[in-house]
Amino acid sequence: MSAEPLSWLASRRAFLGASAVGLGSMAFRALLGEGAGSVPTMDATHHRPRAKRVIYLCQSGGPSQIETFDWKPELSKRRGEPLPESVRRGQRLTGMSGNQAILPLVGSMAKFARHGKCGAWVSDLLPRTASIVDDLCIVKTMATDAINHDPAITFLCTGAEQAGRPSMGAWLAYGLGSSNENLPSFLVMCTAKPADQPLYARLWGSGFLPSEHQGVQLMPGQDPVLYLTNPADVSRESRRRQLDALGALSADQFAREGDPEILSRLAQAEMAFRMQMSVPEAADLSAEPQEVFDLYGADSRKPGTYARHCLLARRLAERGVRFIQILHPGWDHHGDLPSGMVTQCRETDQASAALVIDLKRRGLLEDTLVLWGGEFGRTSYSQGPLTAANFGRDHHPRCFALWMAGAGVKGGLQWGETDELCYNIANPERDAVTVHDLHATMLHLLGIDHTKLTYRYQGRDFRLTDVFGTVRRELLA
Amino acid sequence: MRFAAAVLAIAAPAGVLWDLGGDGSARSASVDFQREIRPLLSDRCFACHGPDEKARQGERRLDLREDAIAQNQGVRAIEPGAPDRSELLRRVEAEGEDAMPPRDSGRKPLTAQERALLRRWIEQGADYAPHWAFVAPAKPAVPAVRQASWCVNEIDPFVLSRLEAEGLAPSARASAATLARRLTLDLTGLPPTPEQTAELEAANTDAGVARFVDKLLASPSYGERMAADWLDLARYADTYGYQADAHRRVWPYRDWVIGAFSENMPYDEFVVKQLAGDLLLSATESDRLATAFQRLHRQTNEGGSTEEEFRVEYVADRVHTFGTAFLGLTLECARCHDHKFDPITQEDYYSLFAFFQNIDEAGCYSHFTDATPTPALDLPSPEQAAALAAARAGVERAEADLQRAEREGEVRFEQWSKSHRAVPAGRGPVARYPLTSIRDGKFENLVNPQMPGLAAPALKCVEAAVPTGAKQALRFTGDDAATFPGVGEWTHTDPFSLALWMRAPEPSERAVLVRRSRAWTDAGSQGYELILDGGRLRWSLIHFWPGNAASVRCRQPIEPHQWTHVAVTHDGSGRASGLRVFVNGEPADLEVVRDSLTRPITGGDPGPPALGERFRDVGFKGGEICDLQFYDRCLPELEVHGLGGLKEVAQTPALELRAYLEAIDEPAARAREALRAARGALAKAQAEIPQIMAMAETAPQPCFVLSRGRYDAPNRARPVSARVPKALPPLEPGFPTNRLGLARWLTGGSHPLAARVAVNRLWMIAFGRGLVATPENFGSQGELPSHPELLDWLAVTFVESGWDVKAMLKRLVMSATYRQASASRPELAARDPQNRLLARYPSHRLSAEQIRDQALFASGLLVSKVGGPSVKPWQPPGLWEIGWGGSYQADEGEGRHRRSLYTYWRRTVPPPNLMLFDAAKREVCSARRQATMTPLQSLVLLNDPQFVETAQALAARAAASERGDGAHIAEAFARVCGRAPSEAEAKALLDLLQQERAAGAAHPMAAVCSVLLASDAAVMVR
Repeated sequence: MSAEPLSWLASRRAFLGASAVGLGSMAFRALLGEGAGSVPTMDATHHRPRAKRVIYLCQSGGPSQIETFDWKPELSKRRGEPLPESVRRGQRLTGMSGNQAILPLVGSMAKFARHGKCGAWVSDLLPRTASIVDDLCIVKTMATDAINHDPAITFLCTGAEQAGRPSMGAWLAYGLGSSNENLPSFLVMCTAKPADQPLYARLWGSGFLPSEHQGVQLMPGQDPVLYLTNPADVSRESRRRQLDALGALSADQFAREGDPEILSRLAQAEMAFRMQMSVPEAADLSAEPQEVFDLYGADSRKPGTYARHCLLARRLAERGVRFIQILHPGWDHHGDLPSGMVTQCRETDQASAALVIDLKRRGLLEDTLVLWGGEFGRTSYSQGPLTAANFGRDHHPRCFALWMAGAGVKGGLQWGETDELCYNIANPERDAVTVHDLHATMLHLLGIDHTKLTYRYQGRDFRLTDVFGTVRRELLA
Repeated sequence: MRFAAAVLAIAAPAGVLWDLGGDGSARSASVDFQREIRPLLSDRCFACHGPDEKARQGERRLDLREDAIAQNQGVRAIEPGAPDRSELLRRVEAEGEDAMPPRDSGRKPLTAQERALLRRWIEQGADYAPHWAFVAPAKPAVPAVRQASWCVNEIDPFVLSRLEAEGLAPSARASAATLARRLTLDLTGLPPTPEQTAELEAANTDAGVARFVDKLLASPSYGERMAADWLDLARYADTYGYQADAHRRVWPYRDWVIGAFSENMPYDEFVVKQLAGDLLLSATESDRLATAFQRLHRQTNEGGSTEEEFRVEYVADRVHTFGTAFLGLTLECARCHDHKFDPITQEDYYSLFAFFQNIDEAGCYSHFTDATPTPALDLPSPEQAAALAAARAGVERAEADLQRAEREGEVRFEQWSKSHRAVPAGRGPVARYPLTSIRDGKFENLVNPQMPGLAAPALKCVEAAVPTGAKQALRFTGDDAATFPGVGEWTHTDPFSLALWMRAPEPSERAVLVRRSRAWTDAGSQGYELILDGGRLRWSLIHFWPGNAASVRCRQPIEPHQWTHVAVTHDGSGRASGLRVFVNGEPADLEVVRDSLTRPITGGDPGPPALGERFRDVGFKGGEICDLQFYDRCLPELEVHGLGGLKEVAQTPALELRAYLEAIDEPAARAREALRAARGALAKAQAEIPQIMAMAETAPQPCFVLSRGRYDAPNRARPVSARVPKALPPLEPGFPTNRLGLARWLTGGSHPLAARVAVNRLWMIAFGRGLVATPENFGSQGELPSHPELLDWLAVTFVESGWDVKAMLKRLVMSATYRQASASRPELAARDPQNRLLARYPSHRLSAEQIRDQALFASGLLVSKVGGPSVKPWQPPGLWEIGWGGSYQADEGEGRHRRSLYTYWRRTVPPPNLMLFDAAKREVCSARRQATMTPLQSLVLLNDPQFVETAQALAARAAASERGDGAHIAEAFARVCGRAPSEAEAKALLDLLQQERAAGAAHPMAAVCSVLLASDAAVMVR
């Protein structure tokens, strides 16, 4: 039994299909859940997928679009002038700058130039990203509903501002299962650095989906997955013997009770035993050549860094992990934005680009969707005093930038225009891409119709996209 | 094929149970609307043809018979008796454009069987019936059964009659050992001791089991076990949730719940107290504490949050919790639109909302201070209560002394008047700033030149024509403050006064003039402040806005563009009556905004007093101020007249007397000082008393339907007031229209949902799954009860018993149904694999808490101590550090080994080993947990240092005797699994022990115990 390839979910199905109990897979699926609601709605995709997996580089805190991808020379020209009411149009601000007596416009602290064959404008804070723009689809007209971090990042990661919904990765784990029997289908890595915004478990949680679909955190240090490592005095051989004994107990109990769950639980223990090998193997970079570390940057040698996590993401992608989420905090630049942006970009630029390059040269970019972006953008006016060398920017939900690369995405595309003060989307009907749209498009690339990936909870069929979302085919090749 | 049909039925949605036979022989029988038709219509049709008016398509609704059978646009959806003339049937059978449900709706087309069912139902007359859960339960007769001798109590005939109808036999009795473990785990959350098992084995009779159960119900562990489940509904957590997810002290509520279960508080009382304990006649502290239930929702302190947005979220959470916990309804669906499946309108939703919003709360808790968000309840220890009473008495005495001194002062005043012409002013200001110029960023202080005021760089003095003759005044930007270090550091027991000249620009909604306070919502406004509120002066002393503050507001607005002299005084009482505002020397006509201040106003590092700006507040943009004065006493009116060069005002004897008492009379001065000291002592005693968030009713606040559920879109054309949903029985006349009336309505005994929802949860405690498998949803999309008559019989019996929880649980566990063996049989595995018919005991997995508690208990490590602050057992390092949580400091000592319901629950980083076993996340009310199975669970059981420690302790405990390996294994097995191992089990474990020993393992017996803790016999109740 221990030699059988078993996936987290399929394991029980497969196991029972072949087991002496003789129940069919439907029965098994019924047994899986307590009610009809917890039976997975789908086994396969709705159409041919372009992407088999997603790597989501979540930039927590809200990176400034004005210092990265949305060049606004007009803002620099009108530096210090108040944001005109004709532009703001009474739209709400946060309480952090909402009561500020003056909202002085301020242009980018970074210099912009055109890059690649596509001629995309990218700031000099992101030189490596600039070098791969022909592979990127840069959306400059993202829009969200939420203006504070907690609701906004919860919305981005789960499709709803309120807590309690499943995260993107959990939906995928639920909908598609794993393509590697020895690794979780949804892995999460958080940069170990002092955070300006907290990273909550709910951002990779399972919400109302069965909790087996929650993201598994990959941690720096000796236990890459919680509780993975045997106690110091228990050898792998010893654990093998423990599992054999557990097998004997299970067989005996099964003979008495006839409950197939007994064997399923045993299969999970065997899977854990295999994970004890497969996870460290995936996390072990000792076989990576120097050239790879050079590509991702020196940080990739340091556990817990963003660069390290990007390199690990590539290894996990190679091993068939379905959804890999990297969370990097530090983008919440209410003040000291000029120095803050330099630091943040230095921490992320090279490795983000390296990941795309590395996936591409290994042929993995074809069916891997890479997403880079935060929960909202930043205001074109300064929060707090605007001085010669310093300023800050408040949260801005009305327009922000992110990029996608890989599987089925149109490389070299810059989508949408904001107004000259980077406050509103110039043509929102045409250009605005909502968070629901992003989710719908991502699911589409994975071969999933976002209106059909549902889960019944409290009597209602819930979706990642709630009752919204449009697949934005304009962004797709 | 028969086999496959049965299995398929189980995988289908609600109602399947009734098809259990699967052979179609029942097909000619009459169709049951309740069981067979409504679930179908609800699932496929109601979203567009149901209660939600806005979503309704083609003005056609199918949830009401009169609409469904009416001629509408030339067709009838349903023509009773005539399926072929019924549009409904034509459409569900159609292909292409006409097909229903539309193919792009995401709703599944009807199967052939479902269509046939609809056809037969229409043929039979298309009778409707109200949804079962909205009709009050009547007590059904206990059914007759053939095998009456199998039954122990009334529950059993209901179960058995169904089994007999299906031709299924119930199972044999479980062994005494199995029953003992089942009972101890289900009722106390802990495994049995070997002594308990032996006790039941010695007397496994009805009387013996009853005695055993009584003991369990009387043990303190029972209250803890029951509380663990209730805390999911209460979304109990030790932190606020949201962003910073800071600590909050709410464990006294958890202990209240434990106590209520332990003392077997009747369930109706339990509910009434949590919903409306504060409104009870002569409410006790404990009654008020119970209402913390409604404040345990998540709360935010994220900077820049819109306060009203989150206040609305909190009230909405109370409504949803009320719906899930007590009604078993998903009210949240009606927040943005009429419910699509159940007869709950959006107006119903906001009418319930109107019950839950009448408290003096803020949408943000304080970031800079540790003030408890209001309304807050004091929870003094007996010593603190005594100290408080003594301090109160001290203040009363000192107040009486002052009154006496002032009365006697009249005589002294008359004497004094004979030799003096006018009362001189009292002690001068402690600081005075003309604010006419800025030198090196400083403002001159006429009283103490060494202590100047400080100007932010952007501030300037501008030309002005102040009535005093001053030619300059300080002009504000709105973003920059003038600060005055070294003065004004007063709290709510200090008498003090401020005076200034001001000139306001065009009126704005709000502007900060003077404040000594760190921030607005980010500090709950803690401090003192003089602001312009809609153009009117408001003078306040605040601990936490709005619920703990003294605040008065002028009835008349300030004239813009006019130089105005303003003086504000506080007499040291901390009461609204002790606050005065003088405009141009005249006492202003005031209204009391708040008068509830009990606590200090100096927390959160407020810094020095400041003018014209506050953190994230609206500054005095374009306004001007000059001649600012601080007095460390409460200025009498007569002195205010003379401030700032005001023209002489007629002196009256009464005013002169006040001025005399203030400036000259020594006995009055001494009495004032004594009163100030007494108030200081009272404030100190008060401040030491911990608080908890609770409910305290205010007058009803205006309530509107919020368009799309948004806080900023109240529909002024749709005002609502508190009432219950129209589809449910009305509030009885005479009930108050508040939370108390709502609670009485719920628990009045004839409510269709309250008792059913409650007994269903008790059933879950004993059987792992409810008779209604969706305890959170008794509505149209919920699952139908597996045994509807039994559910009703239990609900009515529960009410008749006086909502006696222990008696109900005892009835459940005494039943023959409960005492059956759990083993499956081939015919059951085939026909009822989910065991909905209860032909055997439904095995269920231990909860997250029980799995850990069992390990602690079996190993002897468990510290049995009830209640108290939450504890922090070991957890993997580094988890809190990912966010803002600082670092998790694991407890030393007993905190490592307390029951898991005491484990500190941090919402954004919950304890991982509990989460991996499906503990509720506690972000919102949750009525049901899942039971998943993952590899990570196995890793917890085998590798988590908490479990490794218990395995080692259990090994040591079991091997303490000299009886040999077999006996040691048997003891460990019994302590965890509650029975003796089988031969095969004993051999497997013995083999492991010997292999480990042979391999030189450090802890061979601990390796065995780890396997035991991870085994099915350990993690399942069987």
